[in-house]
Amino acid sequence: MDVHSEMRPEVTLKPAAGRDKPAITHEDLERAEDRSRVASARSMRGPFSNFRLLWLLIGPGILVMVGENDGPSMLSYAATGARFGVGFFLPFIILTFVMAIVVQEMTVRLGAATHRGHAELIFARFGPFWGWFSMIDLGLGNFLTLIAEFIAIRAGLSFFGVPPWIAVPGAVVLLLLALVTHRYWTWERITLAIAMFNLVFIPLALLTRPDWHSVGHAIVSWKPLAGGMSNAALLIILSNIGATVTPWMLFFQQSATVDKGLTRRDIRFGRIDTLLGAALAAGAAVAMVLLCAPLMNRGMSVENFQAAEFAKSLQPVIGRLGAVLFSLGMVEAGLVAAITISASSAYAFGEVVRKPHSLNLRMREGKAFYSVLFLCVAAAAGVALIPGLPLVYVILIVNVVAVLAMPPALLFLFMLANDREIMGDLVSPRWANVLTGTVVVFLIGAGVLYGISVVAPKTFAVLIR
Amino acid sequence: MAGTGITLNPQETSDLRILASLEPNQFTAAKLQGLPRRHLKASEVLLLWSLRVYLLLMIGVVVYQVFGGVH
Repeated sequence: MDVHSEMRPEVTLKPAAGRDKPAITHEDLERAEDRSRVASARSMRGPFSNFRLLWLLIGPGILVMVGENDGPSMLSYAATGARFGVGFFLPFIILTFVMAIVVQEMTVRLGAATHRGHAELIFARFGPFWGWFSMIDLGLGNFLTLIAEFIAIRAGLSFFGVPPWIAVPGAVVLLLLALVTHRYWTWERITLAIAMFNLVFIPLALLTRPDWHSVGHAIVSWKPLAGGMSNAALLIILSNIGATVTPWMLFFQQSATVDKGLTRRDIRFGRIDTLLGAALAAGAAVAMVLLCAPLMNRGMSVENFQAAEFAKSLQPVIGRLGAVLFSLGMVEAGLVAAITISASSAYAFGEVVRKPHSLNLRMREGKAFYSVLFLCVAAAAGVALIPGLPLVYVILIVNVVAVLAMPPALLFLFMLANDREIMGDLVSPRWANVLTGTVVVFLIGAGVLYGISVVAPKTFAVLIR
Repeated sequence: MAGTGITLNPQETSDLRILASLEPNQFTAAKLQGLPRRHLKASEVLLLWSLRVYLLLMIGVVVYQVFGGVH
């Protein structure tokens, strides 16, 4: 059965008799306006037609990939460079982005084929029992990650002497400002513009004059970890995986694809968007590793993060301006992620409780949507401001928790992407299923190894010997 | 609208033209219709439960590690 063939909206601009809501909403009109621009670009001829289409249709993929280059992720890459240098980890990080592409591409197809968000599909197809499990995973993960984003913003601004009680509320205000236009398109473009600052780590890495021969050799030869596997190395491996593939990304990209209004015809551009986002984010991630590689053997770790010690330690290498840009880069990383992650929570909530959920909603139409968004942000910001809390543990575990929560989330995604009733001919091809299965097995393996390293360190030592 | 007896003001006419850019199932009203529940096979339920147990165990490990670290 093709579910969508049965859906026909009632097209009336005014409320029908006995109804208090019009069949056509402000959200529909805003989205239709975006779609009419896409239609007009599609009808254009000449070489600029595709560029125009690409410009109109990119967004969710770049936002999700660069958004995931968030505070904890950039810190994870910084700690990777400072602790292990470029050897094993450069190709490993590139591999994690390949995993992210495989996974995120499915959300583009799902969103374009069904026009439904991820949480909505899980609830509808698997029922509330499994739906609530997945919502709890998402909600907890998102909340922890949001706290970490505000810690990143706080740490970045502490370099300039900005106290936390100004830095954190200031970030909340900036985040809310992106919403005031009540237009998905404007919100997306503002967030994209801020997200591009993530690329600042690339010129900063160049300032350290990396040994390109070593970099090229590391990528081409991909040798095992120098010094062998250890608990610390495993934690960094898990953090780097969690820095690229996390449950909120699945929910966000599918919901944003739907909110943007992508259709089956746009899937090609959705894929390009995802690839482009992955390339940009991988570039910034690799740059961060290169940038912090000169800090090797200086005992830098995650614990040095909160007082902006990474930026201070890098200052002799990249200069004062470089350190300033580094700190601003950390602020951007936290801010963009806070914007996208809070949106993913609000989308999922609206989808589950069947309340309007779109960034095209006016405030009075989307009270529940915007309230959830604001409450998530305010609560996380509040926690990040509590003095004396061991916040460093949030930073340490947030990516690990993301890796551990990924296999169940991927199973839902896998089953939905292979669900012919909702996907029709857009079900995943066999090769995509093999790749997804490989990613799941890899993530479970990494998670189990982590569990053994914590609970039975002696057994872990025997295993890795 | 010709032949229907309905008169639309210019704004409504323009809105209707723009709305034609949306696919039928992209309208908010269409999305209010639920999707049918999928029948889960025993192997799928087993897989879902296995991964749920895996996640709970792993979260226990994380809590244990954080608790150990804090104390």
